[in-house]
Amino acid sequence: MSRSPGIGTQGSDVSQLEMPAPNRLKEIISQGTPYWFLSPWVIIYGIFGIFPLFFMVFLSFQDWNPSEGLGAMQYIGSTNYVKAFTDPLLYKSMWNTLTIALLSGVPQHLFAIPMAYILVQLGERARQWFTSAYFLPYITSTVAVSMIFFQMYQGNGIFNNVIVMFHDWSVTAPLFTWFDPDYPIQWVRANSVIQYSIALVVFWKYLGFNIVIYSAGMATISNDLYEAAKIDGANTYQRFTQIALPLLKPFIFFGVTMTIIGNMNLFDESYVLTNALKTATKDGMTISNYLFRIAWEDQQMGMAAAISWILFGVIAIFTAIYFYLFGREGLQEN
Amino acid sequence: MNIFDNALFQKSIYAFLKYGVLAFLILFAMTTIFPFVYSIVLSTHDQEGISSLGVSMGLGIDLVENYNELLQRTAFWTGITNSAIIAILGTVISIFFCSMCGYSLAVYKFKGRNVIFGIMLLSMMIPPVLSLIPYFLIVDMLGLMNTHFAVWVPFTIAPMGIFLVRQYVVASIPKDLLEAAKLDGAGEFRIYSTIVMPLLKPSLATLAIIQFVFLWNNFLQPLVILEGDKAVIITMIRSMQGTPDAPMGAIILGSFLSMLPLILVFVVSSKQMISGLTSGAVK
Amino acid sequence: MNLKKTLSAAVAAAGLVVAATSAQAAITVDVYGDYGNYFEDFKKDITRKAGSYKHNANDWGGHHNKLTLNLATGSGAADMVLVDTGMIGGYINGGGLMDLSDKFAPFEKDMVDFAVKQGQNEKGQQIGVPVDLGPGVAFFRRDYMEDIGYDVDEVMETWESWLAYGRELRDDYGVYLVSNADGIARSIIYGTVKEGNGIYTGPNNEILIENDRFKFAFNMAKQLREEGLDANTGMWNDDWYGGFREGTFAMEIQGAWMLGHLQGWIAPDTEGSWGASNLPNGIYGTWGGTFAAIPTQSKDVESAWNVIEYMISPKAQLAAFDEWAMFPANKTVHDDEMFNEGIDFLRGQDARVLFAEIANNVNPVQPGAYDNIAETLVVNTALQEVLADGRDVNEALKDAAQQLQKRMR
Repeated sequence: MSRSPGIGTQGSDVSQLEMPAPNRLKEIISQGTPYWFLSPWVIIYGIFGIFPLFFMVFLSFQDWNPSEGLGAMQYIGSTNYVKAFTDPLLYKSMWNTLTIALLSGVPQHLFAIPMAYILVQLGERARQWFTSAYFLPYITSTVAVSMIFFQMYQGNGIFNNVIVMFHDWSVTAPLFTWFDPDYPIQWVRANSVIQYSIALVVFWKYLGFNIVIYSAGMATISNDLYEAAKIDGANTYQRFTQIALPLLKPFIFFGVTMTIIGNMNLFDESYVLTNALKTATKDGMTISNYLFRIAWEDQQMGMAAAISWILFGVIAIFTAIYFYLFGREGLQEN
Repeated sequence: MNIFDNALFQKSIYAFLKYGVLAFLILFAMTTIFPFVYSIVLSTHDQEGISSLGVSMGLGIDLVENYNELLQRTAFWTGITNSAIIAILGTVISIFFCSMCGYSLAVYKFKGRNVIFGIMLLSMMIPPVLSLIPYFLIVDMLGLMNTHFAVWVPFTIAPMGIFLVRQYVVASIPKDLLEAAKLDGAGEFRIYSTIVMPLLKPSLATLAIIQFVFLWNNFLQPLVILEGDKAVIITMIRSMQGTPDAPMGAIILGSFLSMLPLILVFVVSSKQMISGLTSGAVK
Repeated sequence: MNLKKTLSAAVAAAGLVVAATSAQAAITVDVYGDYGNYFEDFKKDITRKAGSYKHNANDWGGHHNKLTLNLATGSGAADMVLVDTGMIGGYINGGGLMDLSDKFAPFEKDMVDFAVKQGQNEKGQQIGVPVDLGPGVAFFRRDYMEDIGYDVDEVMETWESWLAYGRELRDDYGVYLVSNADGIARSIIYGTVKEGNGIYTGPNNEILIENDRFKFAFNMAKQLREEGLDANTGMWNDDWYGGFREGTFAMEIQGAWMLGHLQGWIAPDTEGSWGASNLPNGIYGTWGGTFAAIPTQSKDVESAWNVIEYMISPKAQLAAFDEWAMFPANKTVHDDEMFNEGIDFLRGQDARVLFAEIANNVNPVQPGAYDNIAETLVVNTALQEVLADGRDVNEALKDAAQQLQKRMR
């Protein structure tokens, strides 16, 4: 693969002799081919992406109440970073985010990969129906979803009612002695359980999304490979671990990267379930919630910018470690 | 005799697993469909009915009233049209842009490739909360206030989409195929558009869903850029929320109706998603 | 060259046309919540009296974020905007909203005092014009009050008598006194502010969080929780609605606007079981309220002011009260006959007179630039720690004060 892209082989050598000028042009163009293909990104990112970057770097060294207008910025050196780093809520909300991300993210992939595999095995029609069903939460408006979960999590909501059912049923009663129906679990009001409550919603909402990603990945695996393995006597499980999993690596890599980044930006679910950050905020507030509040409600944009960069650093470090560990296989360079 | 070697035992374990898995798949599907069905139920109730409904599935009688309220309080169908324009244009263009960029990153080796890919990945990690102000300044400067263009263009180069296409190309497009095409004298852009694009169908279908859902549900940018008859459906529905006497019936009906186009898009593109499998994959 | 000339001429002409039309174009109005309906339903009347307008309604959060963004970038703000009481502190000293002192002067005497002061910045300029208020009212169940031999005035007289009543309800009837203890803490925190102070900070931004007012509020909430006097439900959820319907708790302290929701959709079947009263121990406070303001970006200040003038006119104030329970900030209408009508839901009580009396007794509270930060730290964090995690009151407050200090500039 040492040949540079687009350089012609023997055929074009012949044509070079005959018509040198246009071909040189062609060569220049083809030398630049990858850049041509990338030009949409370069242009649009150049217009919409670069300026915000500089703006946010600049802002993180300013004291700025946005309602006073752009002219009101005041340079305050690294004060914003000092403030941010000495703020216990920053660490707390980061830790909350990480916990929720792990609680929801790990099961997401552990479920999504085998489920996508099974669905593909089930045949076209079943796959289509099931994936459509699983994808619904991803497209259902956050309003409806959160409202429904918010109500299900109430004291007399469905979650507590189900536990009461198990508690009262003689078979399962011994397992549920810890539960006192007079004190229903405060799913969205108690700090001790809020992270699980949020994680469940996140898991439920994005599982279908991951299944879709992995289904698309499964589509790259030819049936012939499975057939060949079948002839060699491999059972379903072996075909999954020995054929599907290795070939899915680029997609697993993509999916997990998305989950890491997406979870670090988790906002809506925690916002609604904590009743707009009024109850169980101590353990339920994510770093994005906190960031949004500082920027737009507390109107301390400078500090928010500093926190953004700290958060950026944290995500980048996580992603870098992840890329270092798995990138070679996940990106499949060479 | 060891029970584990018993064929019947193995068979029944297998059956148990099979039906267990199937049961799980169906159960989980029920939980994901439930809110959808439940919002149909809720949209037939008025405020009082919703607040006292609990989890019962009884239909109410206020569907028409909710619909009228929805039409009275929002320019509902204008909003749907605007959202559709933004989502369709944004999705179609981003399919081209993302696939071009992703393809480029996957097959070519060139100076700055890793740097560009790195910048793309890093740009995903910057919290979007603060970029709203500079974004607004740019749109204002370009004279694009209150245009749909300003709301979809910046998202047509979604790094996530580029990354997805790149991964898909790496996994599914054999280099030999590209080499062979080159030997046949096909131009670079031709190879991409006639050979690669069709093979990318499943990933482009996935990308289309992701982009469409994102553009349709995107809230902050339309909120600050669009108003009046340019506004999108999600800001309209949100505008009814937040007060204690918010007309929940109309809100839920509105969000239910505005979900239907997304389902349509999903069903259509989900058919394409697996087409690689049925039409015989390349690798 | 020619093309260029023609082009620039065309552009200039287009610009002229735009300028010409915009001079007589309708002004824009940015609103949130029920005011979306207000500007829709009253459109004819407002247009006739104050000129034509286009209104843009958003939800509470979206509205204020957009306003902040418009003020930050100096672009895109409407000619007239509404601002919630909870957010006004962040805007009044920013310079993005216009000083309306001169225009407002003739009307000042007609408006409820505390709200007028709340709309003024540090220099005493009138930035926000109050359009509605939320006087704090205790809604109580009469079937747990006079029907079983209690007198509401005696119960409400002091905190001790109020608590004693709650204990008897708990022991004799198994009924909670209030829905949630943190609502009581809020009542005390908002309702006992010394004149000239803000809720959390003094006139020179000194932090007041560790003073007795907060300690008392926190301890009261803690006591309610520990003695089992509060039902520990949240707000705006099924448990809470159910509590109103089934009489799980005997009292709820909210803005006067709560009445409309109770009789409208939360618990219409409980008509006649309710009454309204002052808050315990003679405190007065407010729950919400709205201001109108004009951004300095406004291109048509006169027309924008006309709309504000319309909003605070007696007729519009009464109409909005009638239609959406927006309590009038204009006190000249408080003796309108509408106020003397008995309310069936409250067993015929003429409660609006009481609401007006409460509104006119509220102490002015100075909005502070750090109110939002303090609210997060004190009410949403420290108070929850005390109630849910059993944290020591003094410790929690000390922590909150320290963090607030750090967040100040």
